[in-house]
Amino acid sequence: MVRLKTLLQNAHLWRYSFTHLCGVQQVRLRTCLRMPYICTFFDRVFSWSVLIGIAILCTAQTPVYAGFKLGENGPRINGFVENDFGIKLGYDSTKRDEFNLFEQRLQLKTKLYPSWNSIFEDWGTAIDAKADFTVDEYFNGRTNAQWRLLNLSLAPVSWLDLRAGRQVFTWGTGDYLFINDLFPKDYVSFYIGRNDEYLKKPSDGVKASLYSEISNVDIIIIPEFEPNTLFNGQRVSFFDSFQGGIAGVNSQRTLSVPSQNPENAEYALRLYRSYDSYEAAAYFFRGFWKSPRGYLDEMNRILFYPRLDAYGLSLRGPGLGGIVNAEMGYYNSRQDDNGDNRRIQNSMIKFMLGISKDLGNDLSVGVQYLFEQTLDYANYQNALMSADYVWDEYRHLNTLRITKLYKNQTVMIGLFVFFSPSDLDGYIRPTMDYDINDAWKLTLGANLSWGEDVHTEFGQTEYNKNIYSRIKYSF
Amino acid sequence: MKKNIFLGMLICFSLIIFLGLTRTVSAEESLEEIITKANNTAYYGGNDGRAKVKMTITDNQGRKRVREFTILRFDIEDGKEQKYYVYFNKPVDVQDMVYMVWKYIDKDDDRWMYLPALDLVRRIAASDKRSSFVGSNFVYEDISGRGLTLDTHELVSSEGDMYKIKNTPKKADEVEFSYFEIYINKESYLPVKAEYYDKKGKLYKVITALEVKDIQGHPTVVKSQAKDLLTNSKTVIDFSNIEYDLGIDDGVFTERYLRRPPRKWLD
Repeated sequence: MVRLKTLLQNAHLWRYSFTHLCGVQQVRLRTCLRMPYICTFFDRVFSWSVLIGIAILCTAQTPVYAGFKLGENGPRINGFVENDFGIKLGYDSTKRDEFNLFEQRLQLKTKLYPSWNSIFEDWGTAIDAKADFTVDEYFNGRTNAQWRLLNLSLAPVSWLDLRAGRQVFTWGTGDYLFINDLFPKDYVSFYIGRNDEYLKKPSDGVKASLYSEISNVDIIIIPEFEPNTLFNGQRVSFFDSFQGGIAGVNSQRTLSVPSQNPENAEYALRLYRSYDSYEAAAYFFRGFWKSPRGYLDEMNRILFYPRLDAYGLSLRGPGLGGIVNAEMGYYNSRQDDNGDNRRIQNSMIKFMLGISKDLGNDLSVGVQYLFEQTLDYANYQNALMSADYVWDEYRHLNTLRITKLYKNQTVMIGLFVFFSPSDLDGYIRPTMDYDINDAWKLTLGANLSWGEDVHTEFGQTEYNKNIYSRIKYSF
Repeated sequence: MKKNIFLGMLICFSLIIFLGLTRTVSAEESLEEIITKANNTAYYGGNDGRAKVKMTITDNQGRKRVREFTILRFDIEDGKEQKYYVYFNKPVDVQDMVYMVWKYIDKDDDRWMYLPALDLVRRIAASDKRSSFVGSNFVYEDISGRGLTLDTHELVSSEGDMYKIKNTPKKADEVEFSYFEIYINKESYLPVKAEYYDKKGKLYKVITALEVKDIQGHPTVVKSQAKDLLTNSKTVIDFSNIEYDLGIDDGVFTERYLRRPPRKWLD
């Protein structure tokens, strides 16, 4: 009875069912060992593995359970629950050294088709909603609820689609490489091994898509700036120029985000069409660098997101026995057009070439090459001060993806490698997915980065290598 | 007289040759006719079509996996180019994903995959049409058809109500079978069975039409099974909600509708 009362009082019912299931055991272990923290950690791992084991055994024959309905004619709710756990392989000064990923997640999603007015039906109106609830053991069981999607879409006329609200925007041709996709990303999620879905952050905005014979046009307006989620030393250590090297919790940077006012709205435009089997696109973006590429106040360690315009082109289609893609972009760093301000990122040119091939027998391979050049480099060099870190003018980056499916495509072994011959750093992401059945999926993977220098993209995360597991139940 | 005999012989000879020739020609024509008609019946019914598909994959230990999706098809020309739109419902893990194919005869198909969680439209390399479709015992070619010009065809028998046609690949190294035999119903021209032989000449895979119905005048397979005799696994497809000539707009088969599934046609 007491337990039931507690349960009812607990606002996070779902969490209760997952973490507290093992509560009794936790208390016992904690009392006997008198090492609260270690206990919580290990007995949770233990109880989770027991839970997972039981679940696997029980559900080997479970039929697909496709969500549940709210009421007779109500919307269908689908989603998943999962547990992610990543053991950290390096030691540094982040909050924890044992693990850098340990969380439970519940995702619920639904799609509504308003029909109370015939106009909604005529316009093909739909509401997409998707919410995530997490318990993050990394931050001592911190709970969080977030709308991943909450938007309204409609097509008032045959040549126009509108979508307003929280949504994920994606375009461009790269595989984990982005030139013209300047929408916010969560690189912390990426580096600790959360599902790929979480690399893309949702934005609050409006997208209008216009269709015609000559060209299709996407216009996106994002009223409020949303930055990339980057390493801040709490969970992932990184290169902090203020600390003169790799920083963890000792990092004391402040990131100044553009305030919410009409002048700071972001705009993105894409024109695209196909020529036979080839897809061509032109892009324009006006907004801000998504990472803090400027010093606002060096004394007080404040960084900011400078203004950015980007212009780009891409082409994708069949070639060389596979799919070939090419993309380029010109980044105009508007607050440092000449490149002579040492405190703000210079303008850049980026170019990418890639090919992916299907080699048969469920084996596919993809390679990409990315070239980046900092423009007005001489001006930047002249402006540098003696204590400044010097960033290279050129960067070359290669990627390799290998995917092989086994056991009637229920087992996927994948490898993704980033390697930069100019920065002498790299990042390897091996993964193994196993569809235990239609509801349960087990993922094992690793995030292994290294580098000659501490200030390069992958070199800085060298101490955050991890091996992770994810068990997911979809319903 | 001699002249007449000679002339008579010439006429007879020419007739024999002529008749003989015409017979071979007509035989070839009819074989081509059979396979063309069968191909059109199996894959090009109506100008467009829709079906809800439930795929039950059973492995050698009896474990079942279920895939549910809706297929939309649009024919540009019978026996030639087609477009397919496949919208996944189950398993939930791949819910709302869309797989789209523009099928060509003389070049590789164009294939796209839409991943809703990332709002990502991915282009897929499509050279291997003999790989499994969504982990089932059916391969891509079983779903969208195999190009007729890829094989040489031979009428093995036409006994009873079936034509039995042996198909030998012209490029043997591109496929896993040495040949396959197909049984075609003489009346409806619907292929009802296909037997695949491996490189050693051993039968290893059988696809059977378990149930056929007449839908809007088109003989239609509503239940089909692919059985792998080597691994002892099988896949059964149940088709429902089948409809031909819905008047699906060609524009549905574009990036626009990958991002915004066309409910009008899918439901």
